[in-house]
Parts: sequence; structure tokens; C-alpha cells
Amino acid sequence: MTTSDVRRTVVDWLDDNYHFGDAERLIGSDDRSFLENGILDSLGFVKLILYLEDTYKIKIDRNQLSPRNFDSLGLIVRYVTGHRDYRGVA
Amino acid sequence: MTPPVVFSPEPRTIARSNLTAFSRFCEEATGRSLPDYRSLFAFSIAESARFWELFLRWAAPYVEGEAVPACVGTECETAQFFPNLRLSYPENLLRPRRPEDDARPAITALDEAGHRVSLTRAELRARVRRLAQALETLGVGEGDRVVAMARNTATSIVACLATTSLGAIWSSTAPDFGTEATLSRFQQLEPKLLFAHPWYPYHGVRRAITDRITEVAKALPSLERIVLLEPIPEDVPPPGVGVEAVDHLIAAANPIPPEAPWRRFGFNHPLFILFSSGTTGVPKCIVHGAGGTLLEHLKEHRLHSDLGQEDRLYFHTSCGWMMWNWLLSALASGTEIVLYDGSVSYPEPDSLLKALAREEVTVFGTSAAYLQYCKDAGLAPRETAPMPRLRAIQSTGSILWDSQYDWILENLKADVAIQSISGGTDIIGCFVLGNPVLPVYRGESQCVSLGLDVQAMTPSGPTRTGTGELVCLNPFPSRPIGLFGDPGGTRFHEAYFAQNPGMWTHGDFVQLTERGTARILGRSDGTLNVRGVRIGPAEIYQIVLGIPGVLEAMAVEQIAPREPGGSRLVLLAVLAPGTTLDRPLTLRIKRELSQRASSNHVPAVVAQVSSLPTTHSGKRSERAARDVLNGKPVVNLGALRNPECLEEIRIHPALQVDGVQA
Repeated sequence: MTTSDVRRTVVDWLDDNYHFGDAERLIGSDDRSFLENGILDSLGFVKLILYLEDTYKIKIDRNQLSPRNFDSLGLIVRYVTGHRDYRGVA
Repeated sequence: MTPPVVFSPEPRTIARSNLTAFSRFCEEATGRSLPDYRSLFAFSIAESARFWELFLRWAAPYVEGEAVPACVGTECETAQFFPNLRLSYPENLLRPRRPEDDARPAITALDEAGHRVSLTRAELRARVRRLAQALETLGVGEGDRVVAMARNTATSIVACLATTSLGAIWSSTAPDFGTEATLSRFQQLEPKLLFAHPWYPYHGVRRAITDRITEVAKALPSLERIVLLEPIPEDVPPPGVGVEAVDHLIAAANPIPPEAPWRRFGFNHPLFILFSSGTTGVPKCIVHGAGGTLLEHLKEHRLHSDLGQEDRLYFHTSCGWMMWNWLLSALASGTEIVLYDGSVSYPEPDSLLKALAREEVTVFGTSAAYLQYCKDAGLAPRETAPMPRLRAIQSTGSILWDSQYDWILENLKADVAIQSISGGTDIIGCFVLGNPVLPVYRGESQCVSLGLDVQAMTPSGPTRTGTGELVCLNPFPSRPIGLFGDPGGTRFHEAYFAQNPGMWTHGDFVQLTERGTARILGRSDGTLNVRGVRIGPAEIYQIVLGIPGVLEAMAVEQIAPREPGGSRLVLLAVLAPGTTLDRPLTLRIKRELSQRASSNHVPAVVAQVSSLPTTHSGKRSERAARDVLNGKPVVNLGALRNPECLEEIRIHPALQVDGVQA
């Protein structure tokens, strides 16, 4: 499982749950803020976190979460692939 | 097994409660001994008409005329309450009980941007009466339908109360409803006037709906006027219909002296029209009467919620849900109501909770889905948003699971009454409720609503202790007047009384215990309840079946413990020969539902199947699909002409959920 696979997983999830085929266009670039650009809201972030935990069998510490490390596609991919328990899809 | 008690009211709370005061009042009036809730409840059922007459006397709403007879008829379907009384619903919400009430806040309206608007009762009343004067000038009068695409703001409440003060009927949806969903409701009503907010806030962004307002207005030939609840943007008006701004109408109207009389109407005069979408056809337009709504809400607020003039009530809702009307009526108990418009998690994940802590709400109404979000997000409001004045948390919309009681007590407040309440749009009130004099058992509603003979329908008949479909055997004031556009009452009868003649059949499964507590176990009909929002599959089918390649569709609620609200929406689709459910088609189905209905109509999963469960008479059976998806035995398997399709559904890879044994 590579960085681009995690990226694809997140984009697909956004399409499945919120943007229905329009996620790539809305994201634009991987460093664009999800919150500021209406790509995902806080409730959506919680759903995404649960999905990533399930998919990659990782535990995401809620206290570590902040826009600084989770508010764009690039940051999310970096966070997941950099997680100490990340092994790709189990 | 009896679940643990997680909260017990203090003896002094019980002694001071409205419920205790009302029990004493009933004892004095009847000479009976009513030492506890069980005896009061038994009296309210055995002598239902007497109970309502006494409650009317005790609650003392502003009415005129004779309070006898309290009820004409004994059949739930046709009985009429207080035919000789006249009242004004807004008068009862706005006229002060004491002179000093006028200077106290009546509404505090908050939004996600941090704005705060507070109106005293006098200010609110003045606005309502001036707007009513303006609406009358525009031709709005008794029996006219006034509809609204409105946000949960103080101005929406002003518009509603001004409308109903004229005897016109109010009906509202939330602004995030799609055009089709809005029109499927409003077109049936032939409204004269439309109130609308031209945008709504969502996570820091203003989402304009001016195009939608124009589309809706164009499709309503009866419409004579649009009144915008915000200043008029440049891209309005739509052609052919005059547009006004509400602030301008209020400012231009003459002030009305506080002592000016209110126009009163019959107890059963129509007040609100609410909508309920089922498995077939257009949404039902449920007409609720002014007196029944007021009396039921006074009972639920003052007796079951123990609300009074020292309370600040917040209930999370939109103008498209009956809890908005329910919240509004709390003004009649002298309670200050708190509104919130926008995202509950913006700008911070716990923004709503912090706002409610700042406002020192005493009763916090929410949903299992929101509480699940709080848990999943790792929120700890006990530390970040302490609420020392909070005494009760009420939850409705979907089942509040046992573990959520634990979460509340551990993370929100340790000593708070958790009140799982349930009823619905159909009765604009609740069948099961909280209770200030009773303990809270983990996972259970505290009691059945006073005056409502709620029973569980079992194969051997209705019972007060057991599990089955929720039925109500006696007349109650908030039974709807009927359905709009159904003068003979045929649809009304079919919807609520055909299944069990003589009884209101609600469409929920309920477990009633020997302790007098209750658990709602989910829907018993084909309607869906996803994330606490009730969805009629018919609205989904109307859209999905218009997508090329989709021949048949069935929407089913599947238990999914990790989802907010504990369930998810599944769409089973039969496609045209040669068509495969690929990703573009799946996304198109979801996109069209999101844009044309609402985000709540979007299924979590779309699954292609070769056929849908269908009875020998050709009727599709959502219930069979739901049972097999949820690992339950399928009742009446023999009624299906294609039972083999259930196995395909049961083993479908897209339909497997952790924790559900299919």
C-alpha cells in the first residue's frame, strides 16, 4: 500500500459520502484546507477518522487531531502513512 | 432483567415539581388518592376526558367559552376535544402571565458565526403583531396556507406566530431541502405566501438558495407573495411574484398596544401542517389543531419536562422537523427557548456544547446521532463545556442506546436526568417521555405520556406490559385533525386506523415494562429512520427510478452499530439487462438524491440485486428485506412469491456489517 493508494482511498471515501464524483475537483490541490473550502466538516472528519481506523487498523488519538495535521488531503495521507501501526490494508 | 438506575430525582425536586402540584390538584378536585405517578397515570387513562378537563384548569391557558364537554366521542379516530372553546395559539405563547414577564428574555438565537440575538417577550410580541398586521394587508387570512423555507432563527418564529395569529396555517421545511422534496410538500397545500431565507450557513460558508426559491415559487401557481426573512439579495425576485423583506414589513406596520385583544379561533382550528413521507405516494400533509397542539405541549413541557419560568430550553432541530414546533410551544410555559442555526461543529468540534454552556441551558434536547458524534470525536464536555445548571438531557429521533447513557454520565454530566422521548410528526408530540418524579433506568424512557393509553399490540391483542407495535387506544387532543386534501378522511384512516380498527397504530415497535418504563425498538413499517431523520422511501424511489438503467429500487434501514444513530440507509437496485452497478452509476444515484432530495436521502450503500422481495399480490416487502439484512427471522415468508431473493440480499458482500449477524 503506497501513499497514492491512501490518497485514492480518501478521495473515494469523500465521493462515496459527500461529493459523489466531484471530490477531486473540489480538492484541487493536496494542500487545500478541507474545512475552509467546504470539502469536509467536523462531523465528516469524525466519520473519516473512523473509516481510516477501520481500513488501516490504526488508532487515531483524538487529542492529536488539529487542522495543522489533518485538514488537507496531503496532511491526512502523511498522517496515516506515518502512523506507527500503519501496515497498509490488513 | 431490570436495568440499573442511572439517575434518581432528589426528594425536594419531586416535591417542587409541577407534576406533584398537578397530582395534588387532581386529588382535591376528585377526592381520589393519587400518591404516585402510577396512580395518576391510571386515572388519566381511566377517566381521560376528566383528566384533560382538569389539566386545562390547572394549566390555565388563555381560552374563552365552555370547557364542557371536554371530549365528544370515545373513538380515537373521530373524537373531538373541547368543541366549545376558542383560543389563540400565539396569544398563549406571548401574553405574559405576570407583568414582569414582558422584560424577561423569551428567545435567544445563536448561530455558528457566534452571533447572538435575544428578544424579550414584549419585543417578540410586538414584532409578531406588527408582522401580522402587514400579512393581513397582503391578504393573508383564516385558513390560508403560509409555507416557509426557513432557518432556525428568531425571525422564523416571528413569521410563524404572525401567520397563526391570523388563523392562517403554517407549514415549514428546512432550507437544505431540495426543490423536488420541497415542492412535493408545498404543491399539495396551494399556499398563498412563502417565507424564505435566501441562504443558510454551513461550516462558515453561506449557501445561497435563491435559485431554489425561484424554482419553488414558479411551481406554486397559488402563490401571491414571497417574504424574505433576510434583506433582499439582488438575484431575487423571481418573475411574476411580489417579494417583500420581513424587516421592512415589520418596520412599516403600526405598533399595536400590548392590551389589544388576540383573534381567537376554535379549539380544533388548523394550526400547523407537518409532513410525513411513506413508502408510496406523495408525503402526507398532517393537519394539527391549535388547541390539541397547545394542550399536549403544555402537558409535555410542564408535567413531563417540569419546565417553568426559570428554565432555558434548547432542542436541536430545524424548521423541517416537528421538534421545532414543540420547542416553540415551550414559550407558553414561560420558558426561554434557545435556538442555534448552522453547523453544530463549527468552528470547533464542540462549538454547540460550548454555546449551550455559555447560555446556561437547563434542559438540552438532542439526538442519539449527535451524542454518537460527540463520543466518536472524543469530546469531553464535562471539562470543556461544563453545564452546572443543566438538569435534563432529552434525546429523540432515534433509539438512545444503553452505552450512550453511560457516555453522557461519564463525559457530559454525572448527575443529570437522561430522558429518551419518542413520538413524532403524526401526533406533534410524544408517546413516551421523561418524568421529574421517577428514576431513569439505563436505556429506557421513564414513562408513558399522561392521558394516552399506549399499549403494545401482540398476537393476542394489546397489552400494557409487553412488546409489539405501538398502539394508542383512547382519544387524545393532539391526534391530527386529518390530512390536507383528504376531506373524506380515507387516507387518514388508511394511515393510522386501518391496521388495528379503533386504535392509533403508530408504526413503531415498543416494549412496555411492568415498571411503567418503555423502550422504542425501531420502526415497524417501511419508513426509514437514519441518523435520527425519518425518511420516506417513496421520495427516494421517485428520483432513483428516473435514472437510466435503474428498473426497481428498495430502500431499507440496516442496523450498523458504528454509524451515528446506529443504522444506515441501504438501497437495493434492480438494473436493466446488461447494466452493471459500476462506480459512476453508484455516484450518480447518490448525487441525484443529494441534490434533488437532501443529504439525508443518500444511501450509505447501493447494492445491485436481481430481484426485490415481492408478495404474491405484487406488493414489495421492505420489511422482509429489512429483517434479512438485520439478521432477524422473516415473518410471513410464505407471502413472498420470490423468497429466494432474500438469500442473495443476505450474503451480498456490500451489505455485511460488523456486529450484525445476518
